Amino acid sequence: MNKKRARAVILLLVLALIAAACSSGTTDTTSGDASPATTAAGGTTDPEPTETTAATTDEPVVVRAAVTGGEDTLNPYTYVSGFPGWNMLMLQYDSLMQFDVNGDPQPWLAESVETNDDLTVWTLTLAEGVMFSDGEQLTVDDVEFTFNYFTEKAAGRFARDLRGVESVTTDGDRTITITLDAPNPAFDLVALADIPIIPEHIWSEVTDPEEHQFDSVTNIGSGPYVLVDYVEDQSYRFEANPDYFRGAPAVDELVVVVFADDSGPLAAIRSNEIDVIFERISPEQIDLLDALDPIDISQGPEFTTQMINFDVTKAPFDDIAVRQAISKAVDRQDIVDTVFLGAATVGSPGWVHPEKAVYNPAVAAERDVAGANALLDEAGYTDSDGDGIREFSGGPMSFEMLTNSSDSLRLRIAELVAEMLAEIGIEVTVSSVETATWEEAVWPGFDIANGRNYQMAVWGWSAPVQANTIRVAELVDGNPDIGFLNLTGFSDPAVDAIAEALLTEADPAVSAQQIGELQVLIAEGVPFVLLAYPDGAYAYNSAVYDGWEFIAGQGIVSKLSLLDASARP
Amino acid sequence: MKRLDLSKLGQYVIVIIVAVTLNFALPRLMPGNPLALIAGVDVGLLTAEERAQIIEDVGLNEPILNQYADYWVSIATGDLGQSYRSGRPIKDIIAERLPWTLLLAGGALIISSFFGIILGAISAWRRGGKADVPLLTGMIALQSLPSFWLGMLLISVFAVNLGLLPSFGAISPAANYEGWEYFKDVLEHAILPIVTLSVLSTPGVYLTMRYSMLEVLGEDFIRTARAKGASERRVLFGHVTRNAIAPVVTFLAIRFAFSFGGAVIIETVFSYPGLGRLVFEAVSGRDFPVMQASFLVFTAAVLIANLIADLLYPILDPRTRAA
Repeated sequence: MNKKRARAVILLLVLALIAAACSSGTTDTTSGDASPATTAAGGTTDPEPTETTAATTDEPVVVRAAVTGGEDTLNPYTYVSGFPGWNMLMLQYDSLMQFDVNGDPQPWLAESVETNDDLTVWTLTLAEGVMFSDGEQLTVDDVEFTFNYFTEKAAGRFARDLRGVESVTTDGDRTITITLDAPNPAFDLVALADIPIIPEHIWSEVTDPEEHQFDSVTNIGSGPYVLVDYVEDQSYRFEANPDYFRGAPAVDELVVVVFADDSGPLAAIRSNEIDVIFERISPEQIDLLDALDPIDISQGPEFTTQMINFDVTKAPFDDIAVRQAISKAVDRQDIVDTVFLGAATVGSPGWVHPEKAVYNPAVAAERDVAGANALLDEAGYTDSDGDGIREFSGGPMSFEMLTNSSDSLRLRIAELVAEMLAEIGIEVTVSSVETATWEEAVWPGFDIANGRNYQMAVWGWSAPVQANTIRVAELVDGNPDIGFLNLTGFSDPAVDAIAEALLTEADPAVSAQQIGELQVLIAEGVPFVLLAYPDGAYAYNSAVYDGWEFIAGQGIVSKLSLLDASARP
Repeated sequence: MKRLDLSKLGQYVIVIIVAVTLNFALPRLMPGNPLALIAGVDVGLLTAEERAQIIEDVGLNEPILNQYADYWVSIATGDLGQSYRSGRPIKDIIAERLPWTLLLAGGALIISSFFGIILGAISAWRRGGKADVPLLTGMIALQSLPSFWLGMLLISVFAVNLGLLPSFGAISPAANYEGWEYFKDVLEHAILPIVTLSVLSTPGVYLTMRYSMLEVLGEDFIRTARAKGASERRVLFGHVTRNAIAPVVTFLAIRFAFSFGGAVIIETVFSYPGLGRLVFEAVSGRDFPVMQASFLVFTAAVLIANLIADLLYPILDPRTRAA
């Protein structure tokens, strides 16, 4: 009888579990309003032969994409990552200008963009007939409201974009004039092509955007897609906005699946459960996936970076000879070949990507181990006890190099660099730590005023830092207000002078010359050792959709990829 | 229920206090900063004042003891606060996630106890026999499999190569199935993670059952039962299994609680939206309130499992009942 009781208890428990599991999940799926498009059944879909002309066929084009890690409710205050979060955000919104395939901003919501000679006054003419997805018209008032709102309600990235904006005024129905307090040659790149225009009639009622919880149906923008469904850590469903001002998008429905780690999407694209991966795939996957039949790879240069950081404020890295020796001793080509299997561009010691027009080829790196050894010998770092490791005032030149464990490529870079530096008598011990720990050591509290808690680290910046060359001041300037990304504590008055002049230089010719000089100074001063710019490579199922457009430096995740070719700038 | 006397209750109270304190301390002892998660994108672009404001908004500038006191208040009132990441009430998030983890853990519990107990009994009954040796070796081999590896192997075989089962998630994304279709969808998605968890927990059940049976088989009352002329069947089910099952039930209860922890890895491999995934995301971003709350759920699961085992034991084994 006791046994029966025990059995009954267990059975009840199990039933309760199953019932509980079944009743959940559906609660979140409040379907969007006014959605005429039919939902394609999930599971195994037959690949449909669709080109970018798919809009004319009967079957709606449904693309299932994968991201790693959620992006929350995807409004300007809640999205999480600069990539692909911002890119997904901008599927719902439009900016005044839009990047073309070369990564250059082109008129978009603003039909024309004009500036005065010293680049302090920007005059925009708004395109006609742009509607938000709820049917309200997008007006110059919305633009003015957006600029003011982001400034007042500190919206991280967008507020920063708008620093230096003195006033925004409107004139008539279509003209907007933006006045800056100083010339900003990159204002179109950093602000006009970056900031989503939000509807005043919705946001004016939101006083605390960080706390206000938007749900799927309130993400109203003018963009080509409307977010109609969001389940935290599971999926997003976007439906095409048929009334988009550049024409209805080529893809009718976009489902974005949220994976927990980056091996999940690789399996899912092979099992035909997803059609594209909205993350860069690792180099060893490129050939493997490309060899599979419907899967193709879109690959190109990107502006992310891999570099070695060191604490320049402490011995021996405060000695320029040590930094130069390290820069000479690393074999950047070997890193590109071994770690990235060739899918990367060799790092320029002057920071600027060789694809950029302002790149200065005079600073190209060449490996010189003998020269590096000579530099260290001359500077008095000798190996007095014959153990193969040089000494400095603080003891043997033996350092810990931090890298984040979630990035296996960085770990391999660290190991290779350790071998390379052993050749010049510097011993490097690689420590692979969890990402938040690594970040906190290199960039405590995300504020360089807090100093640094590391000796050496493998580090990398996201694409926007490189995309706008003028931003180099942020990386190297000794003044923490300007050089707020100067994680190594580098300081050189000559570098500061040019970097700061660059920020407000209105004449492109002068600006280009200054950038050229700055690259030479950076290559000599070695605030960090730039190793490589990894390529972006994206896998997609070409049988489902093959209109993916690679924007130089930014990859395929953008509204350009999903619009008809004729609608692209 | 005399057995659950005051000293036992005292033990539970002490365990709760220690566990809650650890739940509070662990996130804060980890290096790393929740700022990136709260501030979101490009945290480096914030000014020092903006950063300070954020820290103040979430109360991280308060003295640590005040934060600790607040944590107790939040537990007492059942208001677990809001996630740094999504700003949503943690209670709601956990209510969404818990059922999925219970489904996996519960499914695995049923499967692993079924196979573990039966195979364990077979093994012990014919100790050293044809079945015992390969079973024992096989189980030990299974036990040493890393869970993420097994999960990836199953994905590779059943999802990628055979295309039989989905490789990720708890339901088909944005499919909005209902009724029977929904049930089927949930089941399909749960199979691989449940199988993974089951394969990993069966050896423990098996070994406990086998060992417990062997112990009982050596007891005097078994010899007596046989001497009385009881049939083998009756000896096996009426005497041996009955007496051997108690330690197994304790093991299962504990195992069930610990499979919450195991779910962190399984749910990450299968991108399954349960509590384990929540912990993974919370730890990666240092979402303190979510970490605290989900650790609390883990703690509660272990304690409740213990309690159930404590209560079941006297029912299963009359000898342990208080006089």
